[in-house]
Amino acid sequence: MKRENAATDHALALTLKIGAYSAFACILGGLLLNFTGRWGHPITVAGFVILLATPGLRIIVAGVQFLREREYKYVLISLGVLAVIITAYVLGIQA
Amino acid sequence: MSETGLLLLVVIGFLVGGVGALTGVGGGVILAPVVAIYYGLPMHQAIGVSLVSVIATSTATSALYVEQHVTDIRLGMTLELATTVGAFIAAVMAHHIDRRTLALLFACFLAYSSFSMMGKAWRSRKREPEVNWTDYTIHNYPLGMCASLLAGGFSGLLGIGGGPIKVPVMHHFMKVPLRVATATSNFMIGVTAATSALVYWGRGDVNTAVAAPLVAGVFAGSLLAARLKHRVHSFYILILLIGVTGWFAVEMFYKLASGGFR
Repeated sequence: MKRENAATDHALALTLKIGAYSAFACILGGLLLNFTGRWGHPITVAGFVILLATPGLRIIVAGVQFLREREYKYVLISLGVLAVIITAYVLGIQA
Repeated sequence: MSETGLLLLVVIGFLVGGVGALTGVGGGVILAPVVAIYYGLPMHQAIGVSLVSVIATSTATSALYVEQHVTDIRLGMTLELATTVGAFIAAVMAHHIDRRTLALLFACFLAYSSFSMMGKAWRSRKREPEVNWTDYTIHNYPLGMCASLLAGGFSGLLGIGGGPIKVPVMHHFMKVPLRVATATSNFMIGVTAATSALVYWGRGDVNTAVAAPLVAGVFAGSLLAARLKHRVHSFYILILLIGVTGWFAVEMFYKLASGGFR
C-alpha cells in the first residue's frame, strides 16, 4: 500500500499545529483576561470554536491534497466524513 | 468558581493531558469522573467537557505523529467514515438516556479499562523490539469498519477516545503494526470526538467555565509530553492509571448505590 506522501503529511501536520496552538492561546488568554477585563468570555469561546473546527478543517485539507494527487477514492471518503460532521453540526444546533 | 478551583482544574488537565500523550490512554476516561464526582457536573456535561479535552489531546499529539509519517492517513480517514457515524448516533442517543443510567455505563467502562490496562502494563515491562513498521498490507476492512462504528459510539456516549477498541482490532485483525495503529487511532479521535462534541455543544452541554481551564492544562500537558515520549517508561504511569480508574469506578458505583448522580 502506498502511503509515503510527504506533502500531504506536512500539510496536515501544519493544520493540526496551527489549530492546536491558536485554540490553546485563545483559551488561555481568555482565562487570564477573565481576571482583568470583560473580554475573557468571547475569546475563550473563540478558542473552543477553533478547537471544534480544526478536525473539520483537517478533513478539507486532506481532501484537497487527495484531489491534487488524483486519488479520487479518498476525495470521496473525505467528502463523506465532512458530510457526517456537517450533519452533526446542523442537527446539533437544532436540538 | 473560586480561583483555587480554577487552578486545580488547570493542574488536573495538565496531568491528564501529559499522561494521555505518554501512555496513549486518552484523558476522557479520567476527566469525566473527576468533574462529575468532585465538581458536581451533571453526567451529560461531564461527558461534553471530556469530549473537548479529548479533541485537545488528539490535535496536539497527532501533529507530531503525522509529521513523522507514522500515521496512516488513508486508513484513518476510511475508518473515520464509521467512527463519525457511530459518534453522531450515540451523541443523539445520549440525550435520551437519564443521568444515572449514563453514570452506571460509565462506571462499568471505568472498571473494564482498569482491568484492560493491567494487560497493557504487563506487556510494557519490556520494550518491544522495533519491527519494520513501514511495510504492511491491510486486511479485513469490514471488521475494521464495524469496530470503528462501535468505538465511535462509545466515544459519543461516554466522551472517551475509543482507542482501546480500535488499536487491538487494527493491530490483530487488520495486520497494521502497533505503532502505526496507535498513531492512526489517535489521529481519528479528533474528528470522532468533534462530531459528537458538536451535538453536545448545540445542546449547551459543553460547560466552558469548567472546560476552559481543563483544556488549557490538557494542551500544555500533551504538547510537553509528546516531546518527552521516549524518555519515560510508561509502566509506572500505567500502574498509577490502573489505581486511579479503579478508584473512580468504585466511587461511582458507591455514589450510584447511595442515590447520587440525579
